[in-house]
Amino acid sequence: MSLKNFTKMEYGSADEIVFGDAKYPLSYGLGLKVGAGFVSPEINFAPRPGSEKNPESLTKEYVEYITKDIMNRAVTLGFPSLQLENEWIHQMGNNPEKFAKPVVAGQKAVMQKFHDEYGVACAIRHTVADPRLAEMGLRPGMDKTHMYPEKTLDSLEVAAANGADVLSIESMGGKEVADYAIVRQDIRGWLFGIGYLGSIDMEWLWPQIVDVAKKHKIVPGGDTNCAGANTSMFMAGGYLDKDIPRVFAAVTRAIASARTLVAIECGATGPDKDCGYEGPVLKAISGRPSAQEGKGAQDAHADLMGNLIAQVCDLWSNESVEYHPEFGGSSVQCWLGVIGYEAALMNAAKQMKQDKVLRDVYVASDRFRSPEGFCMAYDNAYKIGQAIVSEGNNYYLRAKAAGLKACELIQESNQKGKLKLSKQEKDTLNKMLTDLNSLPSEEGKFVDWALKEYKNVPAFNPKNYEL
Amino acid sequence: MLDFDNVKADMILTRYDIKMESQEKPEAIAARMLPKDPLLKKVAEDVLNLKGKLIEDDVKAALKENSPEDVIEGGLLKGMDVVSELYGRGIYYLPHVMVASDAMDKGMKIAEAALQHGKKVKGTIVMHAAEGDPHDIGKNIAAVLLKSNGFGVVDLGRDVLVSDVVAAVEKNKPQMVTGTALMTTTMSAFPKIAERLEEMGINIPFVCAGGAVNRQYVESYPMGVYAEKAAQGPALATKTVEGWDWRKLRDKWDDLMAGKA
Repeated sequence: MSLKNFTKMEYGSADEIVFGDAKYPLSYGLGLKVGAGFVSPEINFAPRPGSEKNPESLTKEYVEYITKDIMNRAVTLGFPSLQLENEWIHQMGNNPEKFAKPVVAGQKAVMQKFHDEYGVACAIRHTVADPRLAEMGLRPGMDKTHMYPEKTLDSLEVAAANGADVLSIESMGGKEVADYAIVRQDIRGWLFGIGYLGSIDMEWLWPQIVDVAKKHKIVPGGDTNCAGANTSMFMAGGYLDKDIPRVFAAVTRAIASARTLVAIECGATGPDKDCGYEGPVLKAISGRPSAQEGKGAQDAHADLMGNLIAQVCDLWSNESVEYHPEFGGSSVQCWLGVIGYEAALMNAAKQMKQDKVLRDVYVASDRFRSPEGFCMAYDNAYKIGQAIVSEGNNYYLRAKAAGLKACELIQESNQKGKLKLSKQEKDTLNKMLTDLNSLPSEEGKFVDWALKEYKNVPAFNPKNYEL
Repeated sequence: MLDFDNVKADMILTRYDIKMESQEKPEAIAARMLPKDPLLKKVAEDVLNLKGKLIEDDVKAALKENSPEDVIEGGLLKGMDVVSELYGRGIYYLPHVMVASDAMDKGMKIAEAALQHGKKVKGTIVMHAAEGDPHDIGKNIAAVLLKSNGFGVVDLGRDVLVSDVVAAVEKNKPQMVTGTALMTTTMSAFPKIAERLEEMGINIPFVCAGGAVNRQYVESYPMGVYAEKAAQGPALATKTVEGWDWRKLRDKWDDLMAGKA
């Protein structure tokens, strides 16, 4: 089991949680404070195709163009603080010493220059790539072809040693079973893949990340179930999409919350990852600062909770934008403007002691737009958090409790005539309730059943999880 | 905390999906498309109704009165035709297609074993997710849809080297090759593949798709044909085996996607 499982909530009530304040604020980087009564923008970016050709061209793209542009625009618009996030592309993780090291060091040098010259508070999160393939092996020594597990761990060291202020990852454990389950609308398979296997993989991975961060005196930020719950969310999509029902995505998100929490239980301190839409549940349980993305992430994707999800953030992100020209400057400059102004709005609300009002207006505008947004509204996120901590010592039972609580919340609101559901969504909700309730109450029985049920899933190898 | 239940959501948003759903009548569509022969109809209905547990017995029963080819074409694939129609109209969701396909696969194994001259496919397609890309859910969905439409699929998996894709095309001699990529920095493998195939004198449509992939990029290299969604794969593959080359697929792409070609 992990180092410290949450068995109680750090917040006494949902109403205590608000954007810009976290129970356990952080100070790091070049004068940045997070969760200490202030929201900062977190700008995320991707290089143009072709720039990955060699280390020199990639470094130039990231450092000379992207980072300089960002810092310049932050000062131009008068933003007091910001965080950068560099989600590593494959080439960086595949050869961290050659491709990533000069990028990480170069970015920090530019930031230091702007900090020295203007006093702008800033820091950079490096989210290393997790290219591990379940079929090749998730643990060191297993993947003899690519050595991806080893490269993932090497990446953490290279990032931490060369200028990262926050270490994060989008880990992939359990995805092979979760992907199989998503497209079959099989919530029990999802529970096994993400709630159980994903948690086990996190419990292996995260203590190592925390150790690296401690060694270099930087912050172990957090994880995200981007590879799983966001796949689910994007497939559920908007009102024109029929790939999977949105109630299914909502319940997968609740289950993912139990899994992503493991990073914090292993010693991650936050800020949690922006693309982890399960962040409100994590903040409610742990009191750790949270990064979120919504309407300011339209450069990367559309979602049905663009306003709501700003409710309790401490960093407000754009997800990721490819570097290219726009009329208003480069893309990173334009999107920094979008998220920076939103953060200014939140900070003005805090000064005027209207932050809880603004929080509730954010929530009210999207609360009934989708089941997933409804479940992540901070009051419901708090209830899902309570379900998780009530079974906090058992990965299986707490993930199951989170899923069931999400189903119950959706059903209750729908029956009151508030959260509307299509016929397909109602049918799916009833099936998920039946499926989850039919599962055993003992972990051992569940695992025995799941190992038989999913033994033929392509790429699933129980040895990846020591099962 | 505000009383959120007092919010009149209808004044803030429109649930277009709920407004549209009452117009669909799946039973009528199925009744029009299902085969008349009662044994074949039963097989097709097993696919349509996701009855993976019944289909093996029903295929065996159908094989007593029908040729394996008829059971495949008139039963199993006909059932998937109805599933595809319901999916295309937004009545069925993707999981219905996947579970129906699982059922069809079970039936297909029995029917194919009864074939005297081996399995017949409409054409062969080599599929892969780009080097460095561990995300392959879109490719997997596309593979199921293509198989369900009678195509043979050689699935190379994910994170596949350029050289492995080229070697697989050379070996399997497919009518079409596909690639998916989530990131702009992994999709840059596509033009390398196209270049190598061109050098070898191979000139087949290379259908590319995925998160950051766009039509303009795909049409910037030889053979590239864009697909926005996995569900577009069967239409592109069908036209390919009918003789459309990649240039014609590009020229007629808008009409094809609109169902006008």
